[in-house]
Amino acid sequence: MMNLEEKKKSGLELFLYWGLPILAILLVVGGWLWFAISNPRLMPNPLQVYERLIRTFTRPVAKVNLFGHAFASLGRVLMALVFAWVIGIVLGILIGWSRVCKAVIGTIFEIIRPIPPIAWIPIVIMWFGIEEFPKVLLVFIGTFVPLVINTAAGIGLVDKINIDVGKIFGGNRFQILAQIVIPTALPSIFAGIRTSVSSGWTTVLAAEMIAAQHGLGALVTRGWQGSDMALVMVAVITIAIIGAFLAFSLNKLEKWVCPWTK
Amino acid sequence: MDKVSNKMEIRQISKTFFASKGYFVAIEDVSFDVRDGEFLVILGPGHCGKTVLLNIVAGLDKQTGGRVLYDGTPMDGVNNQISMVFQKLALMSFKTVMQNVELGLTFRGTPKNERRKISQKYLDLVGLTGFEKSYPYQLSGGMKQRVGIARAYANDPKVLVMDEPFGQLDAQTRYAMQEELLKTWEKDKRTVIFVTNNIEEALYLGDRIVLLSECPAKVKAIYPVDLPKPRDMTGKIFLDLRAEISSNTDLAI
Ligand SMILES: Nc1ncnc2c1ncn2[C@@H]1O[C@H](COP(=O)(O)OP(=O)(O)O)[C@@H](O)[C@H]1O
Ligand SMILES: [Mg+2]
Repeated sequence: MMNLEEKKKSGLELFLYWGLPILAILLVVGGWLWFAISNPRLMPNPLQVYERLIRTFTRPVAKVNLFGHAFASLGRVLMALVFAWVIGIVLGILIGWSRVCKAVIGTIFEIIRPIPPIAWIPIVIMWFGIEEFPKVLLVFIGTFVPLVINTAAGIGLVDKINIDVGKIFGGNRFQILAQIVIPTALPSIFAGIRTSVSSGWTTVLAAEMIAAQHGLGALVTRGWQGSDMALVMVAVITIAIIGAFLAFSLNKLEKWVCPWTK
Repeated sequence: MDKVSNKMEIRQISKTFFASKGYFVAIEDVSFDVRDGEFLVILGPGHCGKTVLLNIVAGLDKQTGGRVLYDGTPMDGVNNQISMVFQKLALMSFKTVMQNVELGLTFRGTPKNERRKISQKYLDLVGLTGFEKSYPYQLSGGMKQRVGIARAYANDPKVLVMDEPFGQLDAQTRYAMQEELLKTWEKDKRTVIFVTNNIEEALYLGDRIVLLSECPAKVKAIYPVDLPKPRDMTGKIFLDLRAEISSNTDLAI
Protein backbone atom coordinates (compact mmCIF):
# COMPACT_ATOMS: atom_id res chain seq x y z
CA MET A 1 0.00 0.00 0.00
CA MET A 2 2.52 2.48 1.32
CA ASN A 3 4.87 1.58 -1.50
CA LEU A 4 2.26 2.06 -4.15
CA GLU A 5 1.39 5.47 -2.73
CA GLU A 6 5.02 6.52 -2.81
CA LYS A 7 5.42 5.30 -6.35
CA LYS A 8 2.43 7.30 -7.49
CA LYS A 9 3.79 10.43 -5.84
CA SER A 10 7.23 9.96 -7.32
CA GLY A 11 5.58 9.48 -10.72
CA LEU A 12 4.04 12.93 -10.41
CA GLU A 13 7.34 14.43 -9.28
CA LEU A 14 9.11 12.78 -12.20
CA PHE A 15 6.60 14.37 -14.54
CA LEU A 16 7.13 17.80 -12.96
CA TYR A 17 10.91 17.43 -13.00
CA TRP A 18 11.38 15.91 -16.45
CA GLY A 19 8.08 15.82 -18.27
CA LEU A 20 7.16 19.51 -18.21
CA PRO A 21 10.63 20.86 -19.11
CA ILE A 22 10.85 18.41 -22.03
CA LEU A 23 7.39 19.52 -23.08
CA ALA A 24 8.54 23.14 -22.96
CA ILE A 25 11.56 22.37 -25.15
CA LEU A 26 9.39 20.50 -27.64
CA LEU A 27 7.09 23.51 -27.75
CA VAL A 28 9.99 25.83 -28.61
CA VAL A 29 11.34 23.47 -31.30
CA GLY A 30 7.82 23.03 -32.67
CA GLY A 31 7.30 26.78 -32.85
CA TRP A 32 10.66 27.16 -34.53
CA LEU A 33 9.80 24.49 -37.13
CA TRP A 34 6.44 26.08 -37.84
CA PHE A 35 8.00 29.54 -38.21
CA ALA A 36 10.88 28.26 -40.37
CA ILE A 37 8.53 26.36 -42.71
CA SER A 38 6.15 29.27 -43.14
CA ASN A 39 8.92 31.92 -43.49
CA PRO A 40 11.93 30.10 -45.00
CA ARG A 41 13.63 33.39 -45.90
CA LEU A 42 13.52 34.77 -42.38
CA MET A 43 14.34 31.66 -40.39
CA PRO A 44 16.47 28.59 -41.20
CA ASN A 45 15.09 25.24 -40.05
CA PRO A 46 16.89 23.08 -37.45
CA LEU A 47 18.44 20.85 -40.11
CA GLN A 48 19.98 23.85 -41.87
CA VAL A 49 21.32 25.11 -38.56
CA TYR A 50 22.83 21.69 -37.85
CA GLU A 51 24.55 21.71 -41.27
CA ARG A 52 25.81 25.23 -40.59
CA LEU A 53 27.14 24.02 -37.23
CA ILE A 54 29.14 21.26 -38.99
CA ARG A 55 30.47 23.83 -41.44
CA THR A 56 31.89 25.98 -38.62
CA PHE A 57 34.34 23.10 -38.18
CA THR A 58 34.97 22.13 -41.81
CA ARG A 59 35.29 25.75 -43.01
CA PRO A 60 36.22 27.80 -39.92
CA VAL A 61 35.18 31.44 -39.76
CA ALA A 62 38.23 33.74 -39.51
CA LYS A 63 40.46 30.63 -39.33
CA VAL A 64 38.90 29.50 -36.04
CA ASN A 65 36.24 26.82 -35.48
CA LEU A 66 33.22 27.16 -33.17
CA PHE A 67 35.13 26.00 -30.12
CA GLY A 68 37.79 28.57 -30.85
CA HIS A 69 35.19 31.34 -30.92
CA ALA A 70 33.55 30.10 -27.74
CA PHE A 71 36.93 29.97 -25.97
CA ALA A 72 37.77 33.47 -27.17
CA SER A 73 34.60 34.79 -25.52
CA LEU A 74 35.03 32.70 -22.38
CA GLY A 75 38.67 33.72 -22.05
CA ARG A 76 37.80 37.43 -22.09
CA VAL A 77 35.03 36.93 -19.55
CA LEU A 78 37.16 34.86 -17.20
CA MET A 79 40.09 37.24 -17.36
CA ALA A 80 37.81 40.19 -16.57
CA LEU A 81 35.97 38.24 -13.86
CA VAL A 82 39.12 37.34 -11.96
CA PHE A 83 40.08 41.00 -11.71
CA ALA A 84 36.51 42.08 -10.98
CA TRP A 85 36.08 39.50 -8.23
CA VAL A 86 39.29 40.39 -6.44
CA ILE A 87 39.01 44.17 -6.75
CA GLY A 88 35.20 44.32 -6.50
CA ILE A 89 34.92 42.20 -3.38
CA VAL A 90 37.75 44.01 -1.61
CA LEU A 91 36.24 47.41 -2.46
CA GLY A 92 32.77 46.22 -1.43
CA ILE A 93 34.10 45.07 1.92
CA LEU A 94 35.87 48.39 2.49
CA ILE A 95 32.73 50.37 1.63
CA GLY A 96 30.53 48.17 3.82
CA TRP A 97 32.89 48.14 6.80
CA SER A 98 34.49 51.58 6.96
CA ARG A 99 32.41 54.70 7.13
CA VAL A 100 35.13 56.79 5.56
CA CYS A 101 35.37 54.45 2.56
CA LYS A 102 31.61 54.46 2.28
CA ALA A 103 31.53 58.24 2.21
CA VAL A 104 34.21 58.51 -0.48
CA ILE A 105 34.23 55.39 -2.70
CA GLY A 106 30.58 54.59 -1.99
CA THR A 107 29.46 57.95 -3.33
CA ILE A 108 31.43 57.48 -6.55
CA PHE A 109 29.73 54.13 -7.01
CA GLU A 110 26.27 55.54 -6.46
CA ILE A 111 27.00 57.83 -9.38
CA ILE A 112 28.32 55.25 -11.86
CA ARG A 113 25.98 52.45 -10.82
CA PRO A 114 23.01 53.40 -13.05
CA ILE A 115 25.17 53.44 -16.20
CA PRO A 116 24.54 50.18 -18.10
CA PRO A 117 27.77 48.41 -19.10
CA ILE A 118 26.97 48.69 -22.80
CA ALA A 119 26.89 52.48 -22.49
CA TRP A 120 30.63 52.37 -21.80
CA ILE A 121 31.36 50.84 -25.21
CA PRO A 122 31.78 54.10 -27.18
CA ILE A 123 33.91 55.70 -24.47
CA VAL A 124 36.16 52.69 -24.09
CA ILE A 125 36.57 52.27 -27.85
CA MET A 126 37.42 55.95 -28.22
CA TRP A 127 40.03 55.78 -25.50
CA PHE A 128 41.52 52.35 -26.00
CA GLY A 129 40.68 51.29 -29.56
CA ILE A 130 39.42 47.85 -30.50
CA GLU A 131 42.20 45.57 -29.35
CA GLU A 132 41.89 42.88 -26.70
CA PHE A 133 42.30 45.17 -23.69
CA PRO A 134 39.24 47.41 -24.23
CA LYS A 135 36.97 44.35 -24.51
CA VAL A 136 38.26 42.87 -21.27
CA LEU A 137 37.97 46.32 -19.69
CA LEU A 138 34.32 46.58 -20.76
CA VAL A 139 33.51 43.22 -19.25
CA PHE A 140 35.41 44.23 -16.13
CA ILE A 141 33.27 47.37 -15.77
CA GLY A 142 30.07 45.38 -16.28
CA THR A 143 30.96 42.74 -13.71
CA PHE A 144 32.74 44.88 -11.17
CA VAL A 145 29.85 47.20 -10.35
CA PRO A 146 27.28 44.57 -9.22
CA LEU A 147 29.99 42.93 -7.12
CA VAL A 148 30.87 46.09 -5.24
CA ILE A 149 27.21 46.94 -4.67
CA ASN A 150 26.18 43.48 -3.47
CA THR A 151 29.22 43.00 -1.27
CA ALA A 152 28.86 46.41 0.38
CA ALA A 153 25.14 45.84 0.97
CA GLY A 154 25.79 42.41 2.45
CA ILE A 155 28.47 43.69 4.81
CA GLY A 156 26.30 46.64 5.86
CA LEU A 157 23.36 44.36 6.67
CA VAL A 158 25.24 42.18 9.14
CA ASP A 159 23.29 42.29 12.42
CA LYS A 160 25.00 44.33 15.15
CA ILE A 161 24.49 41.46 17.57
CA ASN A 162 26.91 39.30 15.55
CA ILE A 163 29.55 41.96 16.06
CA ASP A 164 28.68 42.08 19.78
CA VAL A 165 29.25 38.33 19.94
CA GLY A 166 32.65 38.87 18.36
CA LYS A 167 33.54 41.51 20.96
CA ILE A 168 32.35 39.43 23.92
CA PHE A 169 34.41 36.47 22.76
CA GLY A 170 37.51 38.58 22.51
CA GLY A 171 37.84 39.16 18.77
CA ASN A 172 39.80 42.19 17.60
CA ARG A 173 38.49 44.37 14.79
CA PHE A 174 40.21 42.38 12.07
CA GLN A 175 39.14 38.99 13.46
CA ILE A 176 35.55 40.19 13.72
CA LEU A 177 35.66 41.36 10.10
CA ALA A 178 37.34 38.24 8.72
CA GLN A 179 35.69 35.56 10.81
CA ILE A 180 32.22 36.96 11.49
CA VAL A 181 31.23 39.81 9.19
CA ILE A 182 32.53 38.51 5.86
CA PRO A 183 31.18 34.95 6.27
CA THR A 184 27.82 36.36 7.36
CA ALA A 185 27.76 38.43 4.18
CA LEU A 186 28.94 35.55 1.97
CA PRO A 187 25.49 34.71 0.53
CA SER A 188 25.11 38.35 -0.58
CA ILE A 189 28.62 38.32 -2.00
CA PHE A 190 27.67 35.21 -3.91
CA ALA A 191 24.57 36.92 -5.25
CA GLY A 192 26.94 39.56 -6.61
CA ILE A 193 29.14 36.89 -8.18
CA ARG A 194 26.11 35.35 -9.88
CA THR A 195 25.00 38.71 -11.27
CA SER A 196 28.55 39.48 -12.37
CA VAL A 197 28.82 36.28 -14.40
CA SER A 198 25.57 36.78 -16.30
CA SER A 199 26.31 40.45 -16.77
CA GLY A 200 29.83 39.62 -17.97
CA TRP A 201 28.57 37.07 -20.47
CA THR A 202 26.15 39.65 -21.90
CA THR A 203 28.71 42.42 -22.05
CA VAL A 204 31.40 40.38 -23.79
CA LEU A 205 28.99 39.49 -26.58
CA ALA A 206 27.95 43.10 -27.02
CA ALA A 207 31.60 44.17 -27.14
CA GLU A 208 32.47 41.46 -29.66
CA MET A 209 29.50 42.30 -31.86
CA ILE A 210 30.86 45.78 -32.33
CA ALA A 211 34.48 45.02 -33.01
CA ALA A 212 36.14 41.61 -32.97
CA GLN A 213 37.68 38.97 -35.23
CA HIS A 214 37.00 36.07 -32.91
CA GLY A 215 34.31 35.30 -30.37
CA LEU A 216 30.66 34.30 -30.39
CA GLY A 217 29.59 37.94 -30.64
CA ALA A 218 31.78 38.28 -33.75
CA LEU A 219 30.05 35.21 -35.23
CA VAL A 220 26.65 36.83 -34.68
CA THR A 221 27.75 40.02 -36.45
CA ARG A 222 29.37 38.03 -39.25
CA GLY A 223 26.18 36.02 -39.85
CA TRP A 224 24.00 39.06 -39.58
CA GLN A 225 26.02 41.15 -42.04
CA GLY A 226 26.34 38.24 -44.51
CA SER A 227 22.62 37.44 -44.23
CA ASP A 228 23.66 34.03 -42.90
CA MET A 229 20.84 33.46 -40.38
CA ALA A 230 21.92 29.87 -39.81
CA LEU A 231 25.28 31.09 -38.50
CA VAL A 232 23.51 33.58 -36.22
CA MET A 233 21.41 30.73 -34.85
CA VAL A 234 24.47 28.55 -34.26
CA ALA A 235 26.10 31.36 -32.29
CA VAL A 236 22.96 32.20 -30.33
CA ILE A 237 22.34 28.58 -29.31
CA THR A 238 25.98 28.21 -28.25
CA ILE A 239 25.68 31.41 -26.21
CA ALA A 240 22.56 30.08 -24.48
CA ILE A 241 24.13 26.69 -23.71
CA ILE A 242 27.30 28.23 -22.26
CA GLY A 243 25.23 30.74 -20.25
CA ALA A 244 23.14 27.93 -18.76
CA PHE A 245 26.26 25.94 -18.00
CA LEU A 246 27.85 28.91 -16.19
CA ALA A 247 24.72 29.42 -14.07
CA PHE A 248 24.61 25.72 -13.23
CA SER A 249 28.29 25.61 -12.17
CA LEU A 250 27.83 28.68 -9.99
CA ASN A 251 24.93 27.05 -8.18
CA LYS A 252 27.06 23.99 -7.45
CA LEU A 253 29.93 26.21 -6.33
CA GLU A 254 27.67 28.15 -3.98
CA LYS A 255 26.34 24.96 -2.36
CA TRP A 256 29.93 23.91 -1.81
CA VAL A 257 31.14 27.26 -0.45
CA CYS A 258 28.06 27.99 1.70
CA PRO A 259 26.84 24.61 2.97
CA TRP A 260 24.78 26.26 5.72
CA THR A 261 22.34 27.93 3.31
CA LYS A 262 19.63 25.65 2.07
CA MET B 1 31.45 34.45 59.13
CA ASP B 2 33.06 34.32 55.69
CA LYS B 3 33.93 37.66 54.32
CA VAL B 4 31.71 38.33 51.30
CA SER B 5 33.79 39.53 48.36
CA ASN B 6 32.29 41.39 45.42
CA LYS B 7 33.18 40.32 41.90
CA MET B 8 31.36 43.25 40.36
CA GLU B 9 29.73 46.39 41.67
CA ILE B 10 27.01 48.15 39.73
CA ARG B 11 26.82 51.72 40.99
CA GLN B 12 24.02 54.19 40.16
CA ILE B 13 23.79 53.09 36.55
CA SER B 14 21.44 55.02 34.33
CA LYS B 15 20.87 54.91 30.61
CA THR B 16 19.00 57.39 28.48
CA PHE B 17 18.50 56.97 24.74
CA PHE B 18 18.40 60.16 22.75
CA ALA B 19 16.44 60.25 19.53
CA SER B 20 15.65 62.98 17.01
CA LYS B 21 12.54 63.92 18.97
CA GLY B 22 13.02 63.69 22.70
CA TYR B 23 14.69 61.05 24.84
CA PHE B 24 13.83 57.81 26.56
CA VAL B 25 15.03 56.81 30.04
CA ALA B 26 15.56 53.04 30.06
CA ILE B 27 17.46 52.64 33.35
CA GLU B 28 17.52 54.95 36.35
CA ASP B 29 19.93 54.74 39.27
CA VAL B 30 20.40 50.98 39.43
CA SER B 31 22.88 49.67 42.03
CA PHE B 32 23.67 46.15 43.22
CA ASP B 33 26.64 43.91 43.95
CA VAL B 34 27.59 40.68 42.25
CA ARG B 35 29.28 38.42 44.79
CA ASP B 36 32.08 36.09 43.88
CA GLY B 37 30.71 32.66 42.93
CA GLU B 38 27.04 33.47 43.40
CA PHE B 39 24.11 32.78 41.11
CA LEU B 40 22.50 36.20 40.91
CA VAL B 41 19.13 36.54 39.23
CA ILE B 42 17.80 39.81 37.83
CA LEU B 43 14.02 39.63 37.65
CA GLY B 44 11.95 42.23 35.84
CA PRO B 45 8.96 42.70 33.54
CA GLY B 46 9.35 42.63 29.74
CA HIS B 47 10.85 45.68 28.04
CA CYS B 48 11.99 47.17 31.35
CA GLY B 49 15.60 47.54 30.27
CA LYS B 50 17.11 44.21 31.34
CA THR B 51 18.98 43.65 28.10
CA VAL B 52 20.19 47.24 28.07
CA LEU B 53 21.46 46.78 31.64
CA LEU B 54 23.24 43.53 30.80
CA ASN B 55 24.91 45.04 27.76
CA ILE B 56 26.30 47.75 30.03
CA VAL B 57 27.43 45.20 32.64
CA ALA B 58 29.14 43.17 29.89
CA GLY B 59 30.82 46.27 28.45
CA LEU B 60 29.01 46.21 25.10
CA ASP B 61 27.18 49.46 25.69
CA LYS B 62 28.02 52.70 27.50
CA GLN B 63 25.93 53.91 30.42
CA THR B 64 24.92 57.56 30.55
CA GLY B 65 25.55 57.70 34.30
CA GLY B 66 27.16 55.66 37.08
CA ARG B 67 29.97 53.11 37.13
CA VAL B 68 30.51 49.39 36.75
CA LEU B 69 33.43 48.00 38.78
CA TYR B 70 35.09 44.69 38.03
CA ASP B 71 37.32 43.45 40.87
CA GLY B 72 37.23 47.01 42.15
CA THR B 73 38.34 48.73 38.92
CA PRO B 74 36.02 50.62 36.56
CA MET B 75 35.19 48.79 33.33
CA ASP B 76 35.94 50.26 29.95
CA GLY B 77 34.55 48.18 27.09
CA VAL B 78 34.39 44.41 27.03
CA ASN B 79 36.36 42.28 29.46
CA ASN B 80 37.70 38.86 28.49
CA GLN B 81 36.65 37.44 31.88
CA ILE B 82 32.96 38.13 31.22
CA SER B 83 31.11 35.91 28.79
CA MET B 84 27.52 36.13 27.67
CA VAL B 85 24.57 34.00 26.56
CA PHE B 86 22.50 36.21 24.27
CA GLN B 87 18.72 36.50 24.41
CA LYS B 88 18.59 36.36 20.64
CA LEU B 89 20.97 33.36 20.55
CA ALA B 90 23.20 35.00 17.94
CA LEU B 91 24.85 31.80 16.79
CA MET B 92 26.95 32.01 13.66
CA SER B 93 24.83 30.35 10.98
CA PHE B 94 27.91 29.59 8.88
CA LYS B 95 29.75 27.76 11.64
CA THR B 96 29.10 24.22 12.82
CA VAL B 97 28.07 23.63 16.43
CA MET B 98 31.66 22.81 17.32
CA GLN B 99 33.05 25.91 15.57
CA ASN B 100 30.47 28.09 17.32
CA VAL B 101 31.49 26.76 20.71
CA GLU B 102 35.17 27.28 19.86
CA LEU B 103 34.69 30.93 18.87
CA GLY B 104 36.43 32.51 21.86
CA LEU B 105 39.25 29.97 21.78
CA THR B 106 39.79 30.54 18.06
CA PHE B 107 40.05 34.29 18.59
CA ARG B 108 42.61 33.70 21.32
CA GLY B 109 44.67 31.47 19.04
CA THR B 110 44.35 28.30 21.10
CA PRO B 111 45.85 25.34 19.17
CA LYS B 112 43.30 23.22 17.35
CA ASN B 113 43.47 19.98 19.34
CA GLU B 114 43.26 21.83 22.64
CA ARG B 115 40.30 23.80 21.29
CA ARG B 116 38.59 20.56 20.30
CA LYS B 117 39.13 19.07 23.74
CA ILE B 118 37.72 22.05 25.63
CA SER B 119 34.70 22.56 23.38
CA GLN B 120 33.93 18.83 23.37
CA LYS B 121 33.89 18.91 27.17
CA TYR B 122 31.24 21.63 27.24
CA LEU B 123 29.24 20.15 24.39
CA ASP B 124 29.07 16.91 26.38
CA LEU B 125 28.15 18.86 29.50
CA VAL B 126 25.12 20.50 27.86
CA GLY B 127 24.09 17.24 26.17
CA LEU B 128 24.99 17.97 22.57
CA THR B 129 27.29 15.02 21.99
CA GLY B 130 26.89 13.85 18.41
CA PHE B 131 25.83 17.25 17.02
CA GLU B 132 29.33 18.70 16.68
CA LYS B 133 29.18 18.91 12.89
CA SER B 134 25.58 20.14 12.60
CA TYR B 135 24.76 23.67 11.52
CA PRO B 136 22.45 25.83 13.67
CA TYR B 137 19.58 25.60 11.17
CA GLN B 138 19.49 21.86 11.80
CA LEU B 139 18.87 22.25 15.55
CA SER B 140 15.76 22.85 17.65
CA GLY B 141 15.37 26.02 19.72
CA GLY B 142 16.44 24.29 22.92
CA MET B 143 19.52 22.82 21.30
CA LYS B 144 20.55 26.19 19.88
CA GLN B 145 20.26 27.66 23.36
CA ARG B 146 22.59 24.94 24.67
CA VAL B 147 25.12 25.81 21.98
CA GLY B 148 25.00 29.39 23.26
CA ILE B 149 25.58 28.19 26.82
CA ALA B 150 28.44 25.86 25.82
CA ARG B 151 30.00 28.68 23.79
CA ALA B 152 29.96 30.96 26.83
CA TYR B 153 31.41 28.28 29.14
CA ALA B 154 34.14 27.28 26.67
CA ASN B 155 35.48 30.81 26.78
CA ASP B 156 36.33 30.08 30.44
CA PRO B 157 34.82 33.25 31.92
CA LYS B 158 34.94 34.26 35.57
CA VAL B 159 31.50 35.84 35.19
CA LEU B 160 28.77 34.35 33.03
CA VAL B 161 26.01 36.73 31.95
CA MET B 162 22.81 35.05 30.73
CA ASP B 163 20.03 37.09 29.13
CA GLU B 164 16.68 35.24 29.36
CA PRO B 165 18.33 32.12 27.98
CA PHE B 166 15.16 30.04 28.28
CA GLY B 167 12.69 32.72 27.20
CA GLN B 168 11.79 31.15 23.86
CA LEU B 169 11.44 27.59 25.12
CA ASP B 170 8.23 25.72 25.90
CA ALA B 171 7.55 24.99 29.60
CA GLN B 172 8.69 21.37 29.40
CA THR B 173 12.05 22.12 27.81
CA ARG B 174 12.44 25.09 30.09
CA TYR B 175 12.24 22.98 33.28
CA ALA B 176 14.66 20.46 31.84
CA MET B 177 17.11 23.20 30.86
CA GLN B 178 16.88 24.87 34.30
CA GLU B 179 17.82 21.60 35.93
CA GLU B 180 20.66 21.02 33.51
CA LEU B 181 21.95 24.53 34.02
CA LEU B 182 21.99 23.98 37.79
CA LYS B 183 23.87 20.71 37.36
CA THR B 184 26.35 22.37 35.04
CA TRP B 185 26.80 25.21 37.48
CA GLU B 186 27.36 22.80 40.41
CA LYS B 187 30.04 20.94 38.42
CA ASP B 188 31.73 24.06 37.11
CA LYS B 189 31.14 26.95 39.52
CA ARG B 190 31.30 30.46 38.20
CA THR B 191 29.71 33.75 39.05
CA VAL B 192 26.45 33.90 37.12
CA ILE B 193 24.23 36.90 36.35
CA PHE B 194 20.98 35.46 35.05
CA VAL B 195 18.14 37.58 33.69
CA THR B 196 14.55 36.37 33.56
CA ASN B 197 10.98 37.62 33.67
CA ASN B 198 9.74 34.41 35.31
CA ILE B 199 9.36 34.36 39.13
CA GLU B 200 9.54 30.57 39.47
CA GLU B 201 12.67 30.42 37.39
CA ALA B 202 14.22 33.17 39.50
CA LEU B 203 13.34 31.36 42.74
CA TYR B 204 14.46 27.98 41.44
CA LEU B 205 17.91 29.18 40.37
CA GLY B 206 18.91 32.29 42.28
CA ASP B 207 21.07 32.70 45.39
CA ARG B 208 19.80 36.26 45.39
CA ILE B 209 17.15 37.98 43.31
CA VAL B 210 17.36 41.61 42.21
CA LEU B 211 13.81 42.73 41.44
CA LEU B 212 13.51 45.51 38.88
CA SER B 213 10.58 47.87 38.40
CA GLU B 214 8.97 48.53 35.06
CA CYS B 215 10.31 51.24 32.76
CA PRO B 216 12.54 53.00 33.63
CA ALA B 217 14.22 50.13 35.42
CA LYS B 218 14.98 50.75 39.11
CA VAL B 219 15.84 48.25 41.83
CA LYS B 220 12.68 47.58 43.88
CA ALA B 221 14.18 45.06 46.28
CA ILE B 222 16.89 42.43 46.64
CA TYR B 223 15.83 39.03 48.02
CA PRO B 224 18.26 36.43 49.35
CA VAL B 225 16.98 32.89 48.77
CA ASP B 226 18.47 30.68 51.48
CA LEU B 227 17.19 27.33 50.28
CA PRO B 228 19.33 24.34 49.27
CA LYS B 229 19.39 23.37 45.57
CA PRO B 230 17.74 21.67 43.79
CA ARG B 231 14.72 23.35 45.28
CA ASP B 232 11.28 22.02 45.98
CA MET B 233 8.96 24.35 44.11
CA THR B 234 6.02 23.41 46.34
CA GLY B 235 7.76 23.96 49.70
CA LYS B 236 6.35 26.52 52.14
CA ILE B 237 9.30 28.92 52.18
CA PHE B 238 9.45 28.80 48.36
CA LEU B 239 5.77 29.62 48.00
CA ASP B 240 5.83 32.34 50.67
CA LEU B 241 8.75 34.03 49.00
CA ARG B 242 7.03 33.69 45.65
CA ALA B 243 3.92 35.41 47.02
CA GLU B 244 6.01 38.17 48.56
CA ILE B 245 7.91 38.92 45.36
CA SER B 246 4.74 38.63 43.33
CA SER B 247 2.95 41.25 45.41
CA ASN B 248 5.90 43.60 45.04
CA THR B 249 6.04 43.25 41.27
CA ASP B 250 4.86 45.73 38.64
CA LEU B 251 2.38 44.25 36.18
CA ALA B 252 1.97 40.54 35.78
CA ILE B 253 5.25 38.87 34.96
N1 LIG C 1 19.40 51.36 21.07
C1 LIG C 1 18.22 51.73 21.60
N2 LIG C 1 17.69 52.94 21.29
C2 LIG C 1 16.51 53.33 21.81
N3 LIG C 1 15.77 52.61 22.66
C3 LIG C 1 16.24 51.40 23.02
C4 LIG C 1 17.48 50.89 22.51
N4 LIG C 1 17.69 49.66 23.03
C5 LIG C 1 16.62 49.41 23.83
N5 LIG C 1 15.76 50.46 23.83
C6 LIG C 1 14.51 50.53 24.60
O1 LIG C 1 14.78 50.23 25.94
C7 LIG C 1 13.70 49.52 26.53
C8 LIG C 1 14.24 48.28 27.23
O2 LIG C 1 14.68 47.35 26.29
P1 LIG C 1 15.30 45.95 26.74
O3 LIG C 1 16.45 46.18 27.64
O4 LIG C 1 15.55 45.18 25.49
O5 LIG C 1 14.10 45.28 27.55
P2 LIG C 1 14.08 43.85 28.23
O6 LIG C 1 13.89 44.11 29.69
O7 LIG C 1 12.88 43.15 27.67
O8 LIG C 1 15.36 43.16 27.92
C9 LIG C 1 12.75 49.17 25.39
O9 LIG C 1 11.62 49.99 25.49
C10 LIG C 1 13.52 49.49 24.15
O10 LIG C 1 12.68 49.97 23.15
MG1 LIG D 1 15.77 41.51 26.87
